[in-house]
Amino acid sequence: MPETREQINRVSGPSPTTIPRLSVKNVTKSFPGVVALDDVSFEVIAGEIHAMVGENGAGKSTLMHIIAGVYQPDQGQLSIDGKPYAPEDEKAAQQAGVAIVFQEGSLFPPLSVSENIFAGRQPVTSLGAVDFGRMRDITKDLLQDLEVGIDPSTPVALLSPSQRQLVEIAKALSQKVQILILDEPTSSLTISEARHLFKILHRLAERGVAIIYVSHRLGEVFEVAQRVTVLKDGKVTGVREISKTTPDELIHLEVGRELSFARDPRLPSSDAPVVLEIEDLVVPPVKHASIKVRAGEIVCLAGLVGAGRTELCEAIFGIRPILSGSIKVNGVHLLPNHPIDAMNMGIGMVPEDRRDAGLFLAMSIAANIASANMDAVSQRGVISKRDVDRLAQSSVDTLHIATPDIEREVMFLSGGNQQKVLLGRWLARKPKILIVDEPTRGVDVGAKADLYAILRELAQNGVALLVVSSDLPEVLALAHRIVVMSEGRTVGEIDANDADEVKILQMATPKSGVREGGLE
Amino acid sequence: MSDTLKPILEKSPAHSEKQPQKDSPFKRLAKRIAWDRPLLLIALLVLLCIFMTLRYPEAFPHWDNAAAVLLDAAQGGILTVGMMILLVSGVFDLSVGSTMAFSGIVAGVVVKDFGAPPLLAFLAGILTGTLVGLINGTIITRFRINALITTLAMQGILRGVAQLVAPSGVANLPQGFRPFGQTMIMGLQSPFWVMLVVVLVAFYAMSRTRYFRQFYYIGSNPRAASLSGIKVDKVTLVGFALMGTLAGLAGTMLASRLSNAVILAGVGVELRAITAAILGGASLLGGAGTIPGAFLGVLFMSLIQNTLIIARVPVFWQSIVVGVVLLLAIGIDQLGRSKR
Repeated sequence: MPETREQINRVSGPSPTTIPRLSVKNVTKSFPGVVALDDVSFEVIAGEIHAMVGENGAGKSTLMHIIAGVYQPDQGQLSIDGKPYAPEDEKAAQQAGVAIVFQEGSLFPPLSVSENIFAGRQPVTSLGAVDFGRMRDITKDLLQDLEVGIDPSTPVALLSPSQRQLVEIAKALSQKVQILILDEPTSSLTISEARHLFKILHRLAERGVAIIYVSHRLGEVFEVAQRVTVLKDGKVTGVREISKTTPDELIHLEVGRELSFARDPRLPSSDAPVVLEIEDLVVPPVKHASIKVRAGEIVCLAGLVGAGRTELCEAIFGIRPILSGSIKVNGVHLLPNHPIDAMNMGIGMVPEDRRDAGLFLAMSIAANIASANMDAVSQRGVISKRDVDRLAQSSVDTLHIATPDIEREVMFLSGGNQQKVLLGRWLARKPKILIVDEPTRGVDVGAKADLYAILRELAQNGVALLVVSSDLPEVLALAHRIVVMSEGRTVGEIDANDADEVKILQMATPKSGVREGGLE
Repeated sequence: MSDTLKPILEKSPAHSEKQPQKDSPFKRLAKRIAWDRPLLLIALLVLLCIFMTLRYPEAFPHWDNAAAVLLDAAQGGILTVGMMILLVSGVFDLSVGSTMAFSGIVAGVVVKDFGAPPLLAFLAGILTGTLVGLINGTIITRFRINALITTLAMQGILRGVAQLVAPSGVANLPQGFRPFGQTMIMGLQSPFWVMLVVVLVAFYAMSRTRYFRQFYYIGSNPRAASLSGIKVDKVTLVGFALMGTLAGLAGTMLASRLSNAVILAGVGVELRAITAAILGGASLLGGAGTIPGAFLGVLFMSLIQNTLIIARVPVFWQSIVVGVVLLLAIGIDQLGRSKR
């Protein structure tokens, strides 16, 4: 992005003599049985966007929680502008000008935007009543500043994920913020929404706010940050100027081993049979979709959030009533009324939201894998515990699910391992078609490489894969063919060999003017 | 699972997870008992029995008293099995008491007023319960009205309908109808044996059969269950039909045992059944609980009741104690959840 590069250049590199806005010195923090942070030192300068990367469990969240006053360090000191800073709670941190925007929203959905922004500290009139007028006015200014066209009286429940994110940022800005911490801010944003966020972050940095940007996505880190600190197993493994490092170097610092996200050179044969054929499908909000997937092919559905990709997948899997059009599996018509109909035709689906729709969080790995494999683990309606265990153990072994045993409840697994459990559930059925919605959302970089390898191996074995991803580098790395959706329609196809981000974005951007619920 | 995946993933080091620290054997046993609900209940039952034997040697440790406790547990056991299945799938039924009364009245009217054969009347009573369960389940799964409201409404409706059918119940049921609830087998009345069969069959079904395991998946995460190919609405409907059938069985058997179909039969049994199920390890969030747990919960409740009677505690205290036990059981459950 040329525009953002210019902005970065305008914010000239801070001189080494500057006292850092925030300084963390030799901080150690242990929890029972685990050292989360081990002698960590870290600095952010006013006006800088400083990225913080590392795998899940590397200690990023713990460090952010210490800075935000949620935890207190066991050893080490923090200072702001050279003065000691030891917040005993979040309130003290807020008063010192530290604001944190969490991954999971901390908003009150039924309340209005302005009530959310001023939760617990509403301005009052001389009579002691809440001054709604002033609240509205301040909120309006804040939102205008962020270039968001939201009415302050809108209930947060009606906002899109990206708008909610901006409300969280507005909330932070309403409190004279000096240090702004963003934890995975783009996980629920589309590319254009993320760009909008970056623009705002650059503007805030120009005003002298120190921004700490925690993210899994290296692409973004290179786009938005000036410096980056890498954490691994509670230790800092490197601090780099963005202009003097490469993604490969950062990945190496993060995981301590080489990982490759380059494209798979092995391509499906072009005369492989078409396994999944969707023609003129209408499933509101999907207005018109046609897709073909061949055996051994990975087709990625790209598009903005709200383009209807997830809904299309749900329709194929029998969760949404189909208005018209046809789905054919190996040439046989499929009109699914329930997921079981799609499953009987050899289709599997890993849903977008693994915690809400995929996993039985309180149940064991074995029970989670068995859930869609009852035929394989029971005879005449009676379940064999031995077969359940054997099935689960074989998934754990082949997919390298990191767990002490198969009785472990899946809520205790990392995101990457949870995703592998879901894949294991479907792979045990030996599907002909596998739909994977956002295969690596909230998954650390090591697990991401594993998941890519698994999906590629499946394709090699002749499975037809339909993958939805909002992460463009992921689409480019995984896909053999890219189908772009926009406003409920499949608008075009790009062969992976000629694809790049700009082409996909151009195709995905709605042509009909203002998008509903958009930012501008 | 394809074996070709193996070589690809071999390179990635398995991340190690932290192991829990080792405790002393005594602490492990204490923890085991505290976590394992059936064990905890057995421990409590044994303690209560020892205490009662020492405190009331004249009244408590006798076969007649044990038979009375088990007879009391019979009705509760049949209902709690159904309630446990519903709680496992994340719902419950507040209409079971009224269903019992209504089923008893229907059986009574059929056998006495219509002069039908006793067995037919007995089946009519049970099927009345099934029908009520199907109506509950249909309203809940088809019209998406939540279980609390639906079954609360049904509780009121059925109590009224029972009175509409037979304003003062059906008294003096014919001799032929009595054996169902009054036959003595090996010193215990038939309801106990019926309950034992229900508990054993349900235990097997809930722990081993594929159909009944579906309740655990539904209670744990209905969306994920549906995406795993489970027909959530259909299975939930079956759960309510089962509950209704068991309530019908309990109600008809009560009428047979008393030779009398009473309008006020089963008042407050839903409180006892839910309490026993929660004691037995069920959670209001669904997905948890076992049939042995439910059975032990019922036994515990019946023993408490027996204790209060032997200790000559006024009747209203029983209701208070049941309520307090329910709150305690849920409190323990919450405590366990937050500790994990």
